[in-house]
Amino acid sequence: MIAQPNESPRLEERIRLEPDGRVTVFSGKVEFGQGIRTAFAKIVAAGLGITVDRVTVVLGDTAQVPYDRGTFGSRSIAQDGEILRRAAALARRLIAEGRPLEGPIPEDVPVGPPAPDAGPRRVEAPEIVTGRARFVADARLPGMLRGAIARPPVRGARPAAVDDRAARAMAGVVAVVRDGDLIGVVAKRQAQAVAAAQALEIEWTVPPAADLDTVSIPINEDAATLAALAGAATRVAATYAMPYISNAPIGPSAAVADVRTDEATVYAGTQRPFGLRDELAAVLGLPVDAVRVIPLMPSGTYGRNSLGDVAVEAARLSKACGRPILLQWSREEEFAHGPARPACALDIEAGTDADGRFVAWRYDEHTNAHGYGGTLDPRQAAFTSGRNAVPPYVVPHLAVTLHIEPSPLRTASFRSLAAAENVFAIESVVDEIAAARGEDPLELRLRNTRDPRLRAVLEAVAERSEWRERPRGDGRGLGLACTLYAHGTYIAQVAEVTVAPNGRVRLGRFWCAIDPGRVIDPNGVRNQCEGAIVQSASWTLLEELKQRDGRVATTGWDTYPIATFRDVPSEIDIELMGAPGEPPTGVGEPPGVPVAAAIANAVFAACGARVRELPITADRVRAARR
Amino acid sequence: MRYRLEVNGTLRDLDVPRGTTLLEALRDDLGLVAARYGCGRGQCGACFVLADGRAVTSCLMSVEQAAAHRIVTVEGLASGGELAAIQSAFVEEDAMQCGYCTSGMLISAAALLAEQPSPTDDEIRDALAPNLCRCGVQLRAIRAVKRAAEQL
Repeated sequence: MIAQPNESPRLEERIRLEPDGRVTVFSGKVEFGQGIRTAFAKIVAAGLGITVDRVTVVLGDTAQVPYDRGTFGSRSIAQDGEILRRAAALARRLIAEGRPLEGPIPEDVPVGPPAPDAGPRRVEAPEIVTGRARFVADARLPGMLRGAIARPPVRGARPAAVDDRAARAMAGVVAVVRDGDLIGVVAKRQAQAVAAAQALEIEWTVPPAADLDTVSIPINEDAATLAALAGAATRVAATYAMPYISNAPIGPSAAVADVRTDEATVYAGTQRPFGLRDELAAVLGLPVDAVRVIPLMPSGTYGRNSLGDVAVEAARLSKACGRPILLQWSREEEFAHGPARPACALDIEAGTDADGRFVAWRYDEHTNAHGYGGTLDPRQAAFTSGRNAVPPYVVPHLAVTLHIEPSPLRTASFRSLAAAENVFAIESVVDEIAAARGEDPLELRLRNTRDPRLRAVLEAVAERSEWRERPRGDGRGLGLACTLYAHGTYIAQVAEVTVAPNGRVRLGRFWCAIDPGRVIDPNGVRNQCEGAIVQSASWTLLEELKQRDGRVATTGWDTYPIATFRDVPSEIDIELMGAPGEPPTGVGEPPGVPVAAAIANAVFAACGARVRELPITADRVRAARR
Repeated sequence: MRYRLEVNGTLRDLDVPRGTTLLEALRDDLGLVAARYGCGRGQCGACFVLADGRAVTSCLMSVEQAAAHRIVTVEGLASGGELAAIQSAFVEEDAMQCGYCTSGMLISAAALLAEQPSPTDDEIRDALAPNLCRCGVQLRAIRAVKRAAEQL
């Protein structure tokens, strides 16, 4: 087992030729609907010159795959896809020479012609449409029991007294588990476990909230910024805000744990199988080599499965009762106890000279910790909680400061981390400046951009959407936004909306130009773009996790609406612009990043309402419209 | 309590506590896991099955109630090893990402197509609106339903 990430990858850890001529591929990345199993199979099949159906991809099983830090940041194709491409090229040569498939994978393998967009669109599709696919909550082990957890009213509350007499007497109850602050029930059936957990009478002690400080981290310093702003010909200062939102997976978190005296096997929907393995080993008091994590498909996860919460709880219940345990959270638990995307207040001030060139830009990003570790380390935080806080424009005087504030809610990763909030603020203020100058926001962006790839996606999306010609007015508007996402994906989008007299926003068409470097699986990229756009449009227009002092009031989909089939855009048009010679840069997160600003800018174009706080509800549009 | 259900054309005998939901019985007693738990309140569509051809929330239907209907789950859509048109169409349009909500969409679509063999876009949107999808494959699912309709 490799201890260090991607250090001198070796072929025998990556590709194995089976006696029946099939090929098995190993990667520490995991699949949760983003399509990397298909992409990896296509990469290796193309490299070996075989069909995709001869390739089996093993993902994330800690007993079989090389170490990996985790599946996040849209890095799977850039990291493991590239290793597998080089591995397949080496394997093909060794097979031709009749030599065993082993040895270090060389760094410099020339990129061959792009793989034809052939073969299955998604390798898991036949299992999914027939019901043969096995998600985490579908795992069934011999002797397996069901768990349920008694939840505290608020994060950090501790059980002072537990009366479990009624619960113990209920049908099917096998054990009431008390392990430190964790109180749970183990029962034969799911409904029995849930009912008994609700029958537990627990007095909770709520400790006083910790008095934590805000941590301020400079991302870009320039002492001349404020003076330069004061001299700007056009200056806009505004504060934008976003609420807490839920990852809101359709299937609540689940795990199956089988903890024995000297070993443990845990089936989990984790994004960090090795990190979870280490966490489980510490909690269970086992050496890491005695713990095996086997990833199974969770319901789609957009960051929250970087935390091991449900798997650790299942393992503690299993250890306490000596039986395999399936634990699946309820919908209410997922909303109230799953980690939320942080809330934020984004204070921004930007100015241009008389020619519409930026002279200075101050940005104070107030947010909670993004990312699974919630790191406050300045260098890392700038890349997680401060992701994309720096605008992609030429700005002579730039002062950007990240302020990480304590949160009453548990927070963790959500797709693109802080990039979504930062680009909402940046691309909104750019639109406000264009409006203040009375000019086309596309021209303002192009004037202030030197990067040819950013210019290219802007021009492309403008052309496809007929940005310059398409009529506006009568409650119909187009909005533009763009970004250069953290890892190097360029993207520009145009949203079309109609705003009803009552302020209700409806999405029309949506255009997206994306340059993610070399494209491995065009259909997969399109599917990711469409999904990210729909998901971001959903939280832009609809979503807010209602809470007060850390007590979440949202319990179900009735109080947390997400976009339905009636709410999605009428059409999504995507132009893939990646050059075959450019390294792949990732597509899972970037397409969702400019969406909020594109929609907010379209609402402004449609009816003159500048909505600076999400979600963009009819009430807020009416209030802003005047 | 003992119950007899007709599921996917087969009579199945069950011995489960009174009040057990059809969803729990399918998943934990009959080994049919395509219908999935999403909310337990009939709000998301992940647990849809066909009851006499209508899409119903199996999380809110008791086994006792289900015994009065012919139940079909996604495992019963294909016949004789051949995928149903709606299943093939979802594969061909790649109308899925994680696939957790796919079963429910297939059930809604099957119920729609049985009643309205050539639905409009709006009819498809209305019929599938009870099926929540967080990955955002709605436009692909609409295309898949239209593709299936063309093949019927």
